[in-house]
Order: sequence, then structure tokens, then C-alpha cells
Amino acid sequence: MTNRDLQVGRVLRASTRGFAIGCAVMQPEIPAFGSFVRAEGQASGEAIYGLIYDVSIEDDPFVRQFIGANPPEEVVRDQRENRQVPIEVSVLAVGCGDGETIRHCLPVQPPVTLDWLYQCRSEEIRAFTSRFDYFRLVLDSRDVPTDELLAASLRAAAAARPENERERFLVSAGRELVRLLAGDPTRLEGLLHRLRT
Amino acid sequence: MADEHSPERELEAFFGPPAPQPQPAQQLGIVVGGSLSEGLRVKLDRSTIIEGLAVGRYVVVRGQTGRRFFSIVSDVQLDALNPLIERSPPDTSDPFINQVYSGTAVFGRLEVSPMLILDEGASEPRPVKTVPAHFSPVYPASEEEVALIFGEEERQGFFHVGEPLEMEGTHVALDLERFVERSAGVFGKTGTGKTFLTRMLLAGLIKENVAVNLVFDMHNEYGWKSQTERRQEVKGLRQLFPGGDVAVFTLDEESSRRRGSKTDAVVRIGYEQIEPEDVDSLSSLMALSDVQVGALYFLRRLLGRGWVARLLDEDDPLTELDAALDRGTIHGGTLGAIQRKLGMFRRFDFLKKGASEDPIRQILDYLDHGKNVILEFGRYGNSLEAYILVANYITRRIHDHYVHRTEAALGTREGEPRPLVITIEEAHKFLDPTIARHTIFGTIARELRKYNVTLFIVDQRPSGIDPEVMSQIGTRVTCLLDDEGDIRAVFSGISGASTLREVLARLDTRQQALILGHAVPMPVVVKTRTYGTPEFYAALGVQGARDPDEVLERGRSLLRGSEEDAVEI
Repeated sequence: MTNRDLQVGRVLRASTRGFAIGCAVMQPEIPAFGSFVRAEGQASGEAIYGLIYDVSIEDDPFVRQFIGANPPEEVVRDQRENRQVPIEVSVLAVGCGDGETIRHCLPVQPPVTLDWLYQCRSEEIRAFTSRFDYFRLVLDSRDVPTDELLAASLRAAAAARPENERERFLVSAGRELVRLLAGDPTRLEGLLHRLRT
Repeated sequence: MADEHSPERELEAFFGPPAPQPQPAQQLGIVVGGSLSEGLRVKLDRSTIIEGLAVGRYVVVRGQTGRRFFSIVSDVQLDALNPLIERSPPDTSDPFINQVYSGTAVFGRLEVSPMLILDEGASEPRPVKTVPAHFSPVYPASEEEVALIFGEEERQGFFHVGEPLEMEGTHVALDLERFVERSAGVFGKTGTGKTFLTRMLLAGLIKENVAVNLVFDMHNEYGWKSQTERRQEVKGLRQLFPGGDVAVFTLDEESSRRRGSKTDAVVRIGYEQIEPEDVDSLSSLMALSDVQVGALYFLRRLLGRGWVARLLDEDDPLTELDAALDRGTIHGGTLGAIQRKLGMFRRFDFLKKGASEDPIRQILDYLDHGKNVILEFGRYGNSLEAYILVANYITRRIHDHYVHRTEAALGTREGEPRPLVITIEEAHKFLDPTIARHTIFGTIARELRKYNVTLFIVDQRPSGIDPEVMSQIGTRVTCLLDDEGDIRAVFSGISGASTLREVLARLDTRQQALILGHAVPMPVVVKTRTYGTPEFYAALGVQGARDPDEVLERGRSLLRGSEEDAVEI
């Protein structure tokens, strides 16, 4: 994966708690569960940060027809690249920024329809995860695989760092999880093990 | 970067490299709860290694107003955010899990007892009356802070007695003037080094000249010399102060001679010098009933000064008693029992019929001239009856002398006798609750220093001492005790001391003591100063024993007539 702005897809629908985007095709590692993404806010320089928590590929009438037959490769490729129904990516809002500071809170306004959603660059991920206040937003979310999402986002955040900093970052994140999940040691231990896989 | 000719380089070249800057103290943790009465709770920082902390250690809490709270660690605990962790600990074979849990899910805690407070800008600490705010940082005490609390040992009347825990090289100085203002005690179970500690403190009292001492040396350990457990010889107080400041008296001349102990006088007590009160002090040991004790006074009245000699004389018809026996004023059986029980005096060769010297006069002469007196008991130290009889006999009379002199001086300093400290061992035999109210030692302890006499008691069973007397013991130097009653007794009468219970129970078996009470501004656990080392002797101005090879070489060198030796001579 390169560090250039990578478009993931366009906004289908949105709320302050999260949004859904559609993309025509899947590329290697885009969109990826647990990855950090960024949409632009209404004001200049504003950004809305989110975590991809679901990637859904719906079927369409053409795909149904071809399932029973043995379609040739070019038909399969055509169906994948020129889908009738877009791949739907669900994003949980976890923060916003004004160009200078990043806050781990819900955005004041969601992104608008057909706005582009971008994969965050490594430096953006490092800046966003220099604090861990967004853990609470993820852990309190409903209808989201919170533990898996948090673990995947932390693995991604560790990967965005130099190798000699990754262990220390994960230990710090683990300690913050201890503070938040001390009341549920079983869940805590499961989540900590997921950080290592 | 400074060049070779810069002032800094030139200074460095002349004076040598600058001393390394002292490392700033590392924070141990923060205050998270507690109270003045029960102590503060401190959560340890993740980086603090709990195994490096011990009860008894000094810490300083830096309050939010700039105040420093001098405190002592009274307990060390393990804690967890969730009690379930104790029942179902995580898999700590994974170093990652271990790192994450340590200091967050599981962490160390201290209980610390604040004792003194130092306001910002102040030079003298004062007793603590409040607590620091939440999250106040806690640091180990520094050498400067210890000196601020205890004073500099170079000051007149201060004597270095040991080092605080984990602070090697830092000296705790005891204020000996305050030490002798009240009675004091050294306590500890058998084998914890009470005798060495007592001898060290006595050496300090003599060196600083704060009081004159009378030591009843039951086991001949304080006078000329003694031995460590490893059979190494150590100098006694007479050898430490060879200029005549210490005199050794003995009850058993032959024993002193055999031990090579140089003595200044032999104590002989005449039978006619013994009074009923002296025998009364032995009533429990001699199994004297109340009737028999009462009879002693009756017999003294009827038989006169020679009453003891006459009762021990089997050929004396004791005709003066016939009328009383006929009337039934005294029962024949009672008389016989008294005679039998007094028969033990025949075993004591220091008791003589018609002894010419007055031992009290001899001792008082020395004490009045500022000479410290150590009374060795020789073989009689194995007899508790001899020890109690002689200690009571001498102390009662010396105390009477001090009462008269103090009252005669009518509060003017010039005529008052020098402060006297009387050292007794096996103190519970003199001060147990059934007899403390009647013995001279109980009286002295309760008097405080009204007549310039205080006690210095050495004992392994403080629970055997009358609680009222114990509460009058101003300074307590306590080695390890493990009996609950003894621990309670040591803390009686000292407010807030119960928080130090755990500290006392965890002392090392040797060379550690908890000092609390009048002579120290706050309780302190010390690794006690080692008595008998060349450094100790040198500090007291005594030339210690040299290595024999060194002595031999020096002799050879003198015989050869070397130039250096000629210059030295």
C-alpha cells in the first residue's frame, strides 16, 4: 500500500454516527476491515475520520443467472468490474479534525452524498492514534463488532509506525484497554490476544 | 563546545573533572486515599519496583502547597483493578500480557504514615495535622531531608546511632539530651543484639557527657571487654574511655580477675546494711508471703541493725523474740521460714558480716565527680536474687541521696546533682505489675526526671512490665519482637504508633531497630551502628587493635631504625 491519497468510494448515506459508501470494485487491501478512512467535512480543511467495520457485497440479478452456468473468465471479470450494485462499505465515525487538531468525538455534521472517502495515510493514522480516547466510541457502539474492530484498527495503527515503535504502541494501547475493561477481565484478555494475531 | 583554553577547561584541568550531578529522585507513586489517623494509601508508579521497597523506609510526600510530609512506610500491598484477577489470573507467560497488566490491572500499593510536616521555606519540621491532596507525588527521602529531621551528628549532644533503611551512608543522629530527659528502654527478643545496642548507646552518653551512668552489668558485658557471637573480642566501656571516665566495680573479684577485667573497687555489703525493704524486693523470688514480709519489719525493729546476721546465726537464741512468740505477735513457723529463706544470703560472698566499706559512698563519690560506674556481677549474674537484691539495694540509697540533694538545691542548677541514668537488665523482674508500684525502679520511672534520675532498661519481655511504667518510658529502641503482647506493650502510650506494628514485626533479626518516642522527632528504623569495629573505635577517639602482622612489621622496622620511624618518634 502506498502513502498517496487512496480513494475508497463515494458516500451513499450518512449520519453523525457513521456512514455507508459504495465502491465499484475491490482492490487489494481497499476497502479493509478496521482500516482508518477520511471524508471531507463541510468547512474547508475539515475532516471526518472513521473506521471500516463492514464490507458487504450484495448479489444482483445478473450474478444470480451466471451462478448456475459456468461463465467464461471475461464474463466473470466484467461482472466484477462493472457491477450493477456497488460494494457497500460501512464506516463508524470516530473523530474529526480541523486541519490542526484531531478530536476523538462524533462529527458535528456528516459528509454529504457522493463525497469521496479516502484511505488515511500512515502519518494521519499515527497522528490520530497518538491518543486513545476513540476507544470509548468504538466500545460503546451498537451493531458493530467492537472488539474485532478495535483490535484490527490497532494492528493497522501499529503497522503505520516504524518497527521499533510497534511493540511499545501496542503495550500502551493495551494498558488503556485495561483501564476501560477492568470490569470484564475475560473480554479484556480476549481483546489483548487479538492485538497480537 | 568549549575550546581547550576556555575558563571551564582550565578550571577542570586544575581541579579535576566536576562531580557528577546527583540524579533527581525518582517518583515512587501518588497518594490516592487515606486519612491522618489511618495513614495514606499510595499507588505505585509502573516503573517502581515493589520488591525494592520495605516497611520502615522513609518517604516524602510533596503536597500541592509546597509542603513536604515526612512519612514512614507501614505496609506494602499488592492490588488489582478487579478482584477476579486474583481468582483467574491472565496467562503471564506472554511478555506482552505481562507488560500490559503490570502497573495497570495489577499494581503495588503502600500504606505510609505521615509523621512530620515541613512548610515551604521553613527550617524546622513540626508534627503533622493534615494530609496531602489527592495525587500528591511520593518520593524516597533524601539525605538532606533526613538531616533536616534528625539534626547533624556533629552537634553537641547528638550521637550517630545508625542508618535509615535503604540509605547507606546517611546517619541518624539521636538527641541524647532528650534521650536522658525521660527513662528509656532497649527491647527485643533474645539474640537480636540488645546488649551491643545498649553498649553503643552508653558509649554515646559517655562521649557526649549528657549524664553520668550507673550500669548494673548482670553478665559482665559492659565493663572491660566482651565477645561477639563469633567469639571476636570487643572493647568494653572502660577500654573505650581509658581516661578515667569509666570505673568498673565488681561483686566477684575472682571472676573479674579470671576474665582479665581491670576493676577499680570491690563491692562488699554488710548484713547490717540490709533493710527489710531490700528483702521485700525479693519477696516473689523468695516466695515470701505477705505475713512473712510484714514480719521482716517487725524483726528489724526488735533485733536492730544486726537483724539479718542474727537471723542467720544458728547459735543466736534470739531472746528478744521470746515475748513476741509467746504472745503470738509472730508465729514460730513464720520466723523459721524467714530464717530458712534468708539462708540464701550465705551463698553470696559479697555479703559480709561487718563489712567496713560503704559501697554506696564509694559509688556516689565516683558519680558526683562525673565518673560512670559499671558494677560487674561476676558469677552472681546467674543468680536473679543476687541481681535484684544488689540493684535494689544500691538504687534505693542512691535515689534517696539524689532526692535530698535536689530538694536541698531548691531548683537552683548549681547545687543539683548531675543527671544520672541507671541501666538495668531483665527489667520486667523489677517492674512487673505486681511489684512495680513498690519498687524503687517503678518510682523512678514514674517520677520522670524530677530528681535527676532516669532509667535505661533492657528487656526481652516488655509485656511483663507494668503498663503505667511502660507509658513513662520516653524513648523506646526496639529490636525484633514477635510476641503480640510485647509489641502492644512497646507501643503503649505513644499516639499513632500502632500503624508501625507491621514495621516492628518485620525487622531483621540482627542490627535493625525501630526508635520511637521522646528522643526522636519521628519514628525511625535504622540499621544500627556496628559496635566494635575499628571505625567505631576511631570515631570515639580510641585506637583500635591492629592487625598482628602489621604490629610485627612495625616492630621490625623500628629495630632496623628506618628514617621514617625516626621522624615519627
